[in-house]
Amino acid sequence: METTALVWIILFPLLGAVGLALGRNRLSPRAIGLIGCSTVGAAFLVVLSSVIQLRSLGPGEALVQTLFTWAKGQGFGLEFGLLGDAISLWWLLVVTGVGFLIHIYAAEYMASDPGVGRFFAEFNYFVFAMSLLVLADNFVGLLIGWASVGLASYLLIGFWNTKPEAAAAAKKAFLLNAIGEVGIILGLAVMFSEFRSWSYAEVFPQVSQASPGILTAIGLLLLVGAVAKSAQLPLFTWLPDAMQGPTPVSALMHAATMVTAGVYLMARAFPIYQASPAALTAVAWVGALTALFGAIVATRQFDIKRVLAYSTMSQLGYMMLGAGVGAYTQSLFHFFTHAFFKALLFLGAGMVAHYLHGEQDIRKMGGLAKKQPFAYWTFLIGVLAIAGAPPFAGFFSKDEILGAVLVQGHVFLWLIGVAVAGLTAYYMVRLFALVFAGDPSHEHGEGHESGAAMKVPVGLLAVLSAVSGLIAVPGVTSVPGNFLEPAFELYGHHVPHAGFGWPVAVVLLVAALGAYAAVKAFGPGGAGRAAAIVTAGAPPKGALANGLYIDDIYQKGIGGLFVGLSLAVGNGLDPYVIDGVVNGIGGLVKRVGQGVRQVHGGYLRRYALTVFAGVAIFLIYFILV
Amino acid sequence: MTVEILQGYLILSGILFAIGAAGLLLRRSPLVMLMCVEIMLNAANLAFIAFARYWGDMTGQIFTFLVVTVAAAEVAIGLAIIVLLFRHRDAADVDDVNALRG
Repeated sequence: METTALVWIILFPLLGAVGLALGRNRLSPRAIGLIGCSTVGAAFLVVLSSVIQLRSLGPGEALVQTLFTWAKGQGFGLEFGLLGDAISLWWLLVVTGVGFLIHIYAAEYMASDPGVGRFFAEFNYFVFAMSLLVLADNFVGLLIGWASVGLASYLLIGFWNTKPEAAAAAKKAFLLNAIGEVGIILGLAVMFSEFRSWSYAEVFPQVSQASPGILTAIGLLLLVGAVAKSAQLPLFTWLPDAMQGPTPVSALMHAATMVTAGVYLMARAFPIYQASPAALTAVAWVGALTALFGAIVATRQFDIKRVLAYSTMSQLGYMMLGAGVGAYTQSLFHFFTHAFFKALLFLGAGMVAHYLHGEQDIRKMGGLAKKQPFAYWTFLIGVLAIAGAPPFAGFFSKDEILGAVLVQGHVFLWLIGVAVAGLTAYYMVRLFALVFAGDPSHEHGEGHESGAAMKVPVGLLAVLSAVSGLIAVPGVTSVPGNFLEPAFELYGHHVPHAGFGWPVAVVLLVAALGAYAAVKAFGPGGAGRAAAIVTAGAPPKGALANGLYIDDIYQKGIGGLFVGLSLAVGNGLDPYVIDGVVNGIGGLVKRVGQGVRQVHGGYLRRYALTVFAGVAIFLIYFILV
Repeated sequence: MTVEILQGYLILSGILFAIGAAGLLLRRSPLVMLMCVEIMLNAANLAFIAFARYWGDMTGQIFTFLVVTVAAAEVAIGLAIIVLLFRHRDAADVDDVNALRG
């Protein structure tokens, strides 16, 4: 159905971003926060009304809005429009809804920062870019949004741009995402050569006629983009460093929404993946291995935000795993619940760090349960949700993914997923115990209490983390299924489902074991706790704690290779070869000129003689030959 | 016109051309050199006319007019250059005018 409302989802945050960018030095922090929050809130209201409108349509129908013709050529045209189907509106509910809550939190969190105007301009710009990514009705629009969220990510990771680490982290995020963008661009080139279009509505119906090789190529190239954006193996190293940005940025972009763009791409391009088993298998394996890797590394981190960053990576791996077995509904449902509990955990971490004047080393915390009861209880809900304790949100969404993996017959992937569930419970309880339980391990002095603007969003997210799983209790409720599955059935894909059964019990058991081990080691009086506190302040040691040194391999290997190459070019090739050629040509011309200038003597009669001699030579030549 | 008469004209034309060329190369006075150029041009004119009469073709005569026109223009510019030369450098010898040497 044609509508005129969708464009406002994009326009409100864009207007906010432009207005705030122009007025960032004139407006008061209060006005900046108000404008920044209200534009996202307005966009959220438009999303809500669009969802209601979509529900009134028949199955498979979607809201569309044609905007303009972007390019027109022989037998090809790029109509730029917006598509508000179940998948994109599902995403927008989180982007604008959770985005709105985090904007409110940020209004207090960032209020005393001198760059608050710039912060909200960039934060609104991110909501604009993410909405564009999700709403575009063609792959080119998606790519533009994709690159724009990358820019927003770059700007906000490097928000405190006088900190060298923040600037370096921003650069790293941008570079690694550029690899992904190249992958997508190549994928789109292959797609165009096969389908002569980039519009979803024109590409997907043609998929059944395309050759499997082409589809696999497109699928794998798009997967490169998803791997970079969603911090999957092996392009994940930017995400832990991205925690240099302000905590609201980590919560909204690097946990709840932006990093899920890769999952969105998998779900959006599902007809291509469903037609190419090879590409689908690659997605599943990338997801499973990343989930395992992230969870293992998270068990050895001591920075509260880095633990959460590796945890995000691991949970994104779950989503990719779900997409990789065709369980898109479950994958998208996990995205939905993960946005709540991971944003909650990040904002809780922000409250703790705020209270401790910016301290992020969990070995220096401990005993905060009494001093920060609000953070304690909300964080606890987040931990229970992510660890998969029933009836919190993560239990339903995670188990639905694992159930679908098993139903599809991937026993090995299922075992990896179960192991990750145990590790997740372990590292989250470890984090929680070190931060909140027992006695303070160091003196922190009198803290800085969070205000209402920070507590209300955190409280709301805690409630959502606790109850949002109940919308998809197998056999009872099926809100995500009813809402999303018509969009997948439109191109003939039936999402596999698994009910409650013994696999759920196995997952619960493993998670409980993980949690028990963490309580034993890191609870008050635990051996691991004492060992950890001793090393407070020191960087974590060992291969696991350093992410198997993959970051160092990139820095020293690939980075060092290019630095070495640059030095070789700068010190060898340039001064000797390039300059040699340039100066050699110059010297040659100079010497030739010195020889030739003898001819130009300035004597008129010599010129005349030369002309005559020339004529005479020609004459003799013509007469004799 | 017979071939012998044509030959006579052509020999005369060649002699005139040689005189002009020799004068241009050997004399140093710019005025005389200009006159030598005129002699060479008119030697060519003579050959044109002779051929035109011999073949009964008007093309040579038309060409002669063209050459005369060009020669007039050349003299006008050449004399102007010579006048300025005398005024600025007081030079009666072209070998002294060599400021444009390489």
